[in-house]
Amino acid sequence: MPVTIYGYRDAMSAFFEFPTENAREILPDHLEPVEVHHGTSIFAMTAFDFNESSVGEYGEVVMAVIVSPLVKPGERLPKSAMYPYLVATTTKAARDHAIERWHLPHFMEDIRIDFDRSTPNVGVARVSDMAGAPIAELKVAAHSFAPVNHLYQSFMAEDSGKYLASIVMEGEQSEHEDEKGSIVLHDHAFNKALSIEDVYATPFRELWMRNGRQTFDPLKTL
Amino acid sequence: MPPESNPGSNFAEYDYSNFYYGAGDDPMNLLGPFSEWYREALPNGYYLYSEPLQGAPETRVHVRNRKTGRIHELINMASYNYLGISYRPEVKEAAIKAVEKYGLGASGSPILSGTFDIHEEFNAELARFKGKEAVVVFPTGYSANVGFISGLMRAGDSIILDQYSHASVVDGAILAKSNTVFFRHNNPLDLERKLGKAKGKKLVVVEGVYSMDGDICTLPELLEVAKRHGARVLIDEAHSTFLFGQNGRGVAEHFGLDEEVDFHLGTFSKSLGGQGGFVAGSRKLVDYINAFGRSRFFSCNLSPVLVAGLLAGIKIVQAEPELRQKLWSNVAFLRRRFAEEGVDIGKSNSQVMPVMVNNDARVFAVAEKIQDRGLFLQPVTYPAVPKHKSRLRISVSAAHTEADLETAVRVIASVLREEGVCQ
Repeated sequence: MPVTIYGYRDAMSAFFEFPTENAREILPDHLEPVEVHHGTSIFAMTAFDFNESSVGEYGEVVMAVIVSPLVKPGERLPKSAMYPYLVATTTKAARDHAIERWHLPHFMEDIRIDFDRSTPNVGVARVSDMAGAPIAELKVAAHSFAPVNHLYQSFMAEDSGKYLASIVMEGEQSEHEDEKGSIVLHDHAFNKALSIEDVYATPFRELWMRNGRQTFDPLKTL
Repeated sequence: MPPESNPGSNFAEYDYSNFYYGAGDDPMNLLGPFSEWYREALPNGYYLYSEPLQGAPETRVHVRNRKTGRIHELINMASYNYLGISYRPEVKEAAIKAVEKYGLGASGSPILSGTFDIHEEFNAELARFKGKEAVVVFPTGYSANVGFISGLMRAGDSIILDQYSHASVVDGAILAKSNTVFFRHNNPLDLERKLGKAKGKKLVVVEGVYSMDGDICTLPELLEVAKRHGARVLIDEAHSTFLFGQNGRGVAEHFGLDEEVDFHLGTFSKSLGGQGGFVAGSRKLVDYINAFGRSRFFSCNLSPVLVAGLLAGIKIVQAEPELRQKLWSNVAFLRRRFAEEGVDIGKSNSQVMPVMVNNDARVFAVAEKIQDRGLFLQPVTYPAVPKHKSRLRISVSAAHTEADLETAVRVIASVLREEGVCQ
């Protein structure tokens, strides 16, 4: 299978502290959460605004726990690794594609994502369901953008097996720990895996990529 | 783009944090990538760490540059030694006499054969200085936090730490197997939230002066919250003992809260320029920690040579309060001059003064230039501090002259301007 490429306008990510106890409830046994402090793991929310893919333009939200990357001698060292425990998209076609190709666990209804770029150096993604009920609001701030090419790993697990996707993220990146962003998680079925009150609402890191592309190597079975 | 066979070819893309976690089937897997990266990082600025001094950590030091091998005379803006005590003649003389009397080391655990008369004399003097019934001494500051916290707290208990707590505090909590929760730095509201959910015995840990930012803990507010929730409070005064307060006992004394704080921890490596750590408190507390502070009695006791020097040092601290006055005068001078030059020192309000560079890619170039122009000063970067909060950490000493400090300000300000860090 050849590589799969997705082009995006924006990929807004923020990393939040949450209890390792909660992380372990979410993770399959074979994955280990990365801890920012002892007892404190990392929950990441990313909002994608895709403008190029085999299933057209769409928006996507990825809820993930940061985990230990799989390191092998002689292979490129990943920047980090994640376990996406829930993905939601704005179109059925995008959802069906990601489930079939990447075995990603999905929220099985379409969602709406409103990207707000009206404030300079601030990006906001407001996520709601199609009935209008709010799911989450993610705000990230920019530091300075510079071109990057970074390797990430994404682990998936379901009844059919355990999988690893190697993903190269290219584009302009801003990454900082200025604690200017925020998250609001609403009481919604989408957020049921999280103990919402234990997620610290200010991200310790904000990572915003724009005008780039995401290249997936063929999926590996572990 | 880093080639697959050489992840270290673009060293600035990676840092220590990338080599800590790694799944796989062989614990050696991370060694190769780290080694490749480190070989690249070393000549690009990491050589500035662990450069060997050729003599005492005085205000002028001779340092061997790890990149060139050459020895340079530099103004020392990096060593703790806040009162310039470690090389005082009285201290050296006491240590020399002790080595003649006791030989090199203690040759035993403090609970077996490693306690000497001079240990008892020093402990009594330290307890008097701290105004407490007794002290328990550990071989390092690190082991003091690890031994004390794990000696006191147990599984099922709660330890609530400031998010900027020193690694030794965190490691003590890990070893205690207690539920460990971090509150936002110096934030009593977040402490309140975290304490509201805490179970079992509760211990709140704060530091007198935070070692990377040089800011003082908001002790009155934090203490009020802790007491309202029935939590005990430990203050780590590693960077504040012998400096703050009317008698130099620390930040707790500075705030007039010496009696309200439950546990007082300090070190000898900072203001005394020696080595070791201690906890001061009641006789009952010390007896208990003597019995259960494993890092103390599963280590050899402090060398009597070192203890003799520390004893001389603590006598100097008490006999010469003007040393503290000189230190604070130096701190005030440096703060004023940095402000005049537009140099950002963050939230510092102590003798620990971070010169903020706020650029992870540029901090090593800044540090190299500063050393080339005569200052001994190391960069601090992620993950020791948050991303893009990189800095150079200054330790001000009472031994610095205003001429030393003025030179330091001029060198730092000129390099920061050249590098576009300040106007």
